Amino acid sequence: MTTARNLSKVGAVIGVGQSDYVSDHARVLAGDKPHDSYGYAAIAFNKALADAGIERDEIDGLIVGPTIAYERTGEILGINPRWGSQADAMLAVIEACMAIQTGMAEVVALVYGNDQRSAAIQYGGPEAMGGNMFLSYVYHAPWGFTSQGALYAMMFRRFMEVTGCTEAQLGEVAVAQRLAASLNPHALMRKTITIEQYMASRYICEPLHLFDYCLINDGGVALIIAEAGRAKKMAEKAATRKKPVLVHGVGRYDLNRGATSLEPRLLDFYRPAQEACAEQVFNMAGVEHKDIDAVQIYDSFSCHVPLALEGYGYCRSGDVGRFMQEDGISLKGKLPVNTGGGHLSETYMQGWNHQVEAVRQVRGECGARQVEDCRFVHYNSDVAGKAVSIIYGT
Amino acid sequence: MANSQPIISMYDQPMWESIRAHGWKLQQCDDCSSFRYPPAPNCPHCLSMSSTWKALSGKGKIISWVIFHKQYFDNFPTPYNSVAVQLDEGPIVISNLVGEEPQGSWIGREVEICYGEDSAIGTVPKVRLSK
Ligand SMILES: [Zn+2]
Repeated sequence: MTTARNLSKVGAVIGVGQSDYVSDHARVLAGDKPHDSYGYAAIAFNKALADAGIERDEIDGLIVGPTIAYERTGEILGINPRWGSQADAMLAVIEACMAIQTGMAEVVALVYGNDQRSAAIQYGGPEAMGGNMFLSYVYHAPWGFTSQGALYAMMFRRFMEVTGCTEAQLGEVAVAQRLAASLNPHALMRKTITIEQYMASRYICEPLHLFDYCLINDGGVALIIAEAGRAKKMAEKAATRKKPVLVHGVGRYDLNRGATSLEPRLLDFYRPAQEACAEQVFNMAGVEHKDIDAVQIYDSFSCHVPLALEGYGYCRSGDVGRFMQEDGISLKGKLPVNTGGGHLSETYMQGWNHQVEAVRQVRGECGARQVEDCRFVHYNSDVAGKAVSIIYGT
Repeated sequence: MANSQPIISMYDQPMWESIRAHGWKLQQCDDCSSFRYPPAPNCPHCLSMSSTWKALSGKGKIISWVIFHKQYFDNFPTPYNSVAVQLDEGPIVISNLVGEEPQGSWIGREVEICYGEDSAIGTVPKVRLSK
């Protein structure tokens, strides 16, 4: 394993913002369309700018999410950056730090907007087949197998068989995240559920139930990441400014060999990538598992959580079912996971909302769902062919 | 909704022709003997560009399975299964188990390739439990 050159404490998040998921969702369900993807992105950007307490023209880097066009977003926000890019949530954070480290930019805006609910975007079926340029599993359309949910259901079925983890134990994820969402005013699904309700919910792609699937809603998220030294000076100069949240470590590893035939997922549960990521991120951050106060996991489906907990070393291999049930992954448990409710219960912003939750937990801004003395938050994801890991901290 | 359709690159064409002839073939690498799935311009193991289309033995084992309860396609009414099968030749393919279904876990069950007719696609390889 090669060691990544150090990106530790190079960048600091100085501002976060989001659209009003709750009221926009209510309007969309009522048949209205409050904004398109660019509108949501613009709302989030303005809020992040205000949160950071900086002027728009201090921004010299722009990274735009995958659902909106880079140049058009820059035009709408009126940003001519020294350096710009298009990336998903996790890579946007890493790229911002890379741009800062190499001197290509000093204050980078990361902007995302998505009208997936009002535009009736389908994740699976005929529309997903257009994703053949990006998503290997749509190759299996002749056998009715095109949804990402089915991919993870297939993976998790085998995982249950190998480890003995049960459906009821998987249900701990949905139950824990709904509890977190019940304490989060920004969350869409705020009614708590029980394991019994989880087990009684219908299957979508068996063994995954309805409650194992993420929401589909409209919204936008933005983050502003500044060079750490400059962020510190900015915070010192204006007492009203919030304390910067440092990116302490990052990691990435992908398993492309055999991707279409699902070999790295079915035979290895994508674990070699997660282990490689864990090694990078913990080494770079110089912290250990015991230092992590909360974990955020990209959860388009609940089963990402147990797979990541084992893959990133939070419990012994084969022990995650017991770990989730006995030690607990809720705000009341030993290891709080997806403390805002995640994609299952807060909002589906393709990993962007997890970055915001991580930042707010480290800032201590989370009110009723605040993890006590939260110093380090570990984010990780396994999405469509890449594993990414980030540690945020004070 | 709409029907599902295979994604066919230029390398997939010979495979689907062999399927229509009820004799599923995959490329075997002339240099390292590994079988390729999906069909591809070169061998992912040794990068050789040379290969020969070989008929599969038709045997494999189920390594995982799911049951769809939500419908995504007109030509796939629910409930239906998809299975991941590791062929004796090595590659893992996604298919549908037809005929008798196993009691309890499906994993490890031996299967053999058979051929089904899909209203939208034509001949599609399926699997059934080995006798
Ligand atoms: Zn070869």
